[in-house]
Amino acid sequence: MANVAVTESFSTLRFIIEDGIGHVILDQPPSNKMSPDFFLEFNKIIPGISGKDELKALLISGRGRHFSSGADLPGLLNEIQIQSGSDEHTNEPVVPSFMLSNYRSFLLLEDMDIPVIAAIRGVCLGSALELALFSHFRFCGEDAVFGLPETSFNLIPGIGGIRKMTALTGKAIGLEYILRGKTFDAQEALKIGIVDRILPKRQLVGIGLDFAGSIRSGFRKEKKRIYLKNYFHQ
Amino acid sequence: MEETDKITWVIKDDIGIITLDNPPENYLARPEFLPYETLKKWTSYDYLKGVIICGTGKHFSGGGKLDKLFEMIRDEENVEFLMNEGKTALNHLEGLTIPVVAAIQGICFGGGLEIALACHIRICSENALFAFPEINNGILPGLGGTVRFQELAGFPGSLKMILGGDMINAEDALELKLVDNIVPKSKLFDYTFNLLKKMTYERPLPVIHGVMQALQNARKLPRDEAMLRETRIFCELALAETERRTKNSGI
Repeated sequence: MANVAVTESFSTLRFIIEDGIGHVILDQPPSNKMSPDFFLEFNKIIPGISGKDELKALLISGRGRHFSSGADLPGLLNEIQIQSGSDEHTNEPVVPSFMLSNYRSFLLLEDMDIPVIAAIRGVCLGSALELALFSHFRFCGEDAVFGLPETSFNLIPGIGGIRKMTALTGKAIGLEYILRGKTFDAQEALKIGIVDRILPKRQLVGIGLDFAGSIRSGFRKEKKRIYLKNYFHQ
Repeated sequence: MEETDKITWVIKDDIGIITLDNPPENYLARPEFLPYETLKKWTSYDYLKGVIICGTGKHFSGGGKLDKLFEMIRDEENVEFLMNEGKTALNHLEGLTIPVVAAIQGICFGGGLEIALACHIRICSENALFAFPEINNGILPGLGGTVRFQELAGFPGSLKMILGGDMINAEDALELKLVDNIVPKSKLFDYTFNLLKKMTYERPLPVIHGVMQALQNARKLPRDEAMLRETRIFCELALAETERRTKNSGI
């Protein structure tokens, strides 16, 4: 039987493999906040997925009404404070190792040779949007809300969001949205090019999985538009 | 206000405004734009949150006067040195870690287009026209325009403009991604100024610098190196924010 479901449980996420499609579910409802523990667990499973030959695609979604509200700011600031220090030779500040692991996981997603799809309902803010931006495809529900609000907390998007956002929207819009920390809805996200399709939110995961299954082996992210056109017939 | 070679500099609400001020066409008095040291001095105020480049009157700039350039070559002036000076100035502008926006109306030709290309964002009016007419005189854009134009518009588009000497309008420029937005010409300056104000309003300078530096790195450095530096900037800001929060909670 092909449709054997394997579920691995962690405390902050679930990882299911069914019909050869991996499904990561951010699982700290209601907001599925990306706590330091979430990043630890996420960074544990992603390198494993990169090496799994039997996987045809990867879908990422959030449990319940929201994708994720992003990093847990006090937790994150605390972690960085604890791990801060200077290199004993160069005296340069050292980037905490868990921060390195976070962006390495995101780069692994970007480089995967299987399609990575983010299915976004509700809020998708900060690091959660960065995670979605590193996926190859982004589908969202009509109710989705996006934003990189980091600058309004005196920070910047720190896991590649500046590069990914401006690459998709162009520098002018990207800079405006990032510097203003502006949130925006599904229609606006579609207009500025950061989501690929708006879908009925109740069918979002179902369509995402079906779309994932529709892409045959030999996935190439440069052919993204063709895959979308073939599946949605528009 | 400061002025050099028909280019003026003024600061309004922490936004620096460079005006190409040689109407009607705002031809550049020096083919190399302006001396690097002058530009560096103007933009050195550490409270600046953005820069606008615009032209006086109906046009952005017709670029350098070619007869002037050929005259300089006849007089055996070191044109290569001057052009490199101009490139250094434009590289400085492009490398600023505050947003630099060109507000373009009317003609934006040759050296004028090269200046606009060194900006981070280009806003134009419906009546804007863009061209590299250098080819008609047997030369080519000499201030980095061949590199910058290709980065934006790709190889085929660059060939048409630089080798073909094609002139394009605002719509074509938007299509080519040469400009980011088209606005009515009566609102061009206010729109540009307000865009910069909206972007930088309430944002402390280290955050603006951080975002801009990360954006520059993403363009110039290999991906992994750019990511590492972005995370480093993030951690520096996070430590400063933690300190700020600790202080505030102590009071």
